[in-house]
Amino acid sequence: MKRTLNKFIALLFASFLLWSCTKDGSNNAASAAGKGGSLSRFTIVGNFLYVVDNHFLYSYDISSPTNPVKTNTSAINFDIETIYPFNNRLFIGTRTGLYIYSIDTPSIPSKLAEARHARSCDPVVANDSIAFVTLKGNSNCGPAESGLYVHSIKNIFQPVLIKKVLINSPEGLGLQGSTLYICCNNEGLKVFDVSQPANPAEIRTVTGAYFKDVIPYGNLLICYVSSGIILYDITAPINPVLLKHITN
Amino acid sequence: MRLLWILIVISTFSSCWPKVKPGEPRNNTQKVFGYKPVYGAETFAKKIIYANTPQPVVAAGNIYVKGDLIYQVETGKGIHVIDNRIPAQASRVGFLTINGSSEISIKGDFLYTNSYDDLVVVDMSNINSISEVKRVKGAFPEGRTNYFFVQPPEPGYYECPRYDSLVIGWKKDSVQAGCYKN
Repeated sequence: MKRTLNKFIALLFASFLLWSCTKDGSNNAASAAGKGGSLSRFTIVGNFLYVVDNHFLYSYDISSPTNPVKTNTSAINFDIETIYPFNNRLFIGTRTGLYIYSIDTPSIPSKLAEARHARSCDPVVANDSIAFVTLKGNSNCGPAESGLYVHSIKNIFQPVLIKKVLINSPEGLGLQGSTLYICCNNEGLKVFDVSQPANPAEIRTVTGAYFKDVIPYGNLLICYVSSGIILYDITAPINPVLLKHITN
Repeated sequence: MRLLWILIVISTFSSCWPKVKPGEPRNNTQKVFGYKPVYGAETFAKKIIYANTPQPVVAAGNIYVKGDLIYQVETGKGIHVIDNRIPAQASRVGFLTINGSSEISIKGDFLYTNSYDDLVVVDMSNINSISEVKRVKGAFPEGRTNYFFVQPPEPGYYECPRYDSLVIGWKKDSVQAGCYKN
């Protein structure tokens, strides 16, 4: 009898664990979101889809996937370009600055901070403590000095620029642990060691295409190039090995 | 031979059309050789079709990855689907036609994208019956006037598109050029 009871309790405990997994959702492959590049204007975090057009941040509740319900519209600025999620933050790149929003209340994102910069094009990726922004200054984007701009966000309310590395025509970027990949159009894909964020070390440049954006995805680096897609193995993150150029 | 004659006649006449250069005063009633919008009826332009026939990349756009599939926007036209089960052999396997599209995000079996000013949800659970399951019309008002095909592919004067219609492409023709692309 006691044995049966023990079994029953164990079963109950196990089912509770399983139940909490499915409820969490993020561990459930079937309902999980995928991964986008740094130039995206759509992103999904949990049960919410966030979209930026040039002026607004739209929040949609997609807990019923076929029935998106708009929960909020926030006017942010002119010339919004990109949105990047990390944990409970949204990093929004605009031509005049980086905006950080909290999604602690996912239906209504609230602004935490902004870091203004000279006019330019500027995708962003981030982790807990650092936001990496590339600024591209040209006739279309604005007069900023092109390069990698590293902001400390240890105090999320007050981003501090801690390093500027001048680079020609940087565009999309991707962060894998302490390795940062920066797409530099015709000049190739630059690989940086950012284990010391205030002092990024350029390791190598991969050339042979017009690089626009990247997604680090496990051991795979997916590159958006002007001709389509190139895949690299990044088992050794600082040393991308060509796997496949998907040609027409 | 006949084709050659037609070509010669066309090229001769096309060189007669006045070409307005940037900075020159323009007369809207004067016709020039330039780009003219090709409109699609709302129902046609916004129709979603999936085909297991890979399409060439013309204007590569945003990328997205989920599971064994990679997706890439064909700017303004739709989404390439790439089989990535074996990355070293990855290849385009299909194309999802969604005019006015530039973005992708996926959760579970559902792909979220834009089609001009609409938010569109596409059920990807069965590759043989991919279908639109929801459309939020006018979700992104800017998308009505700001989308890839709202301008022609090359610089120069062009016929301004009507914003009450959807442009699905451009053709060269004799046009009343009221707009200019740098």
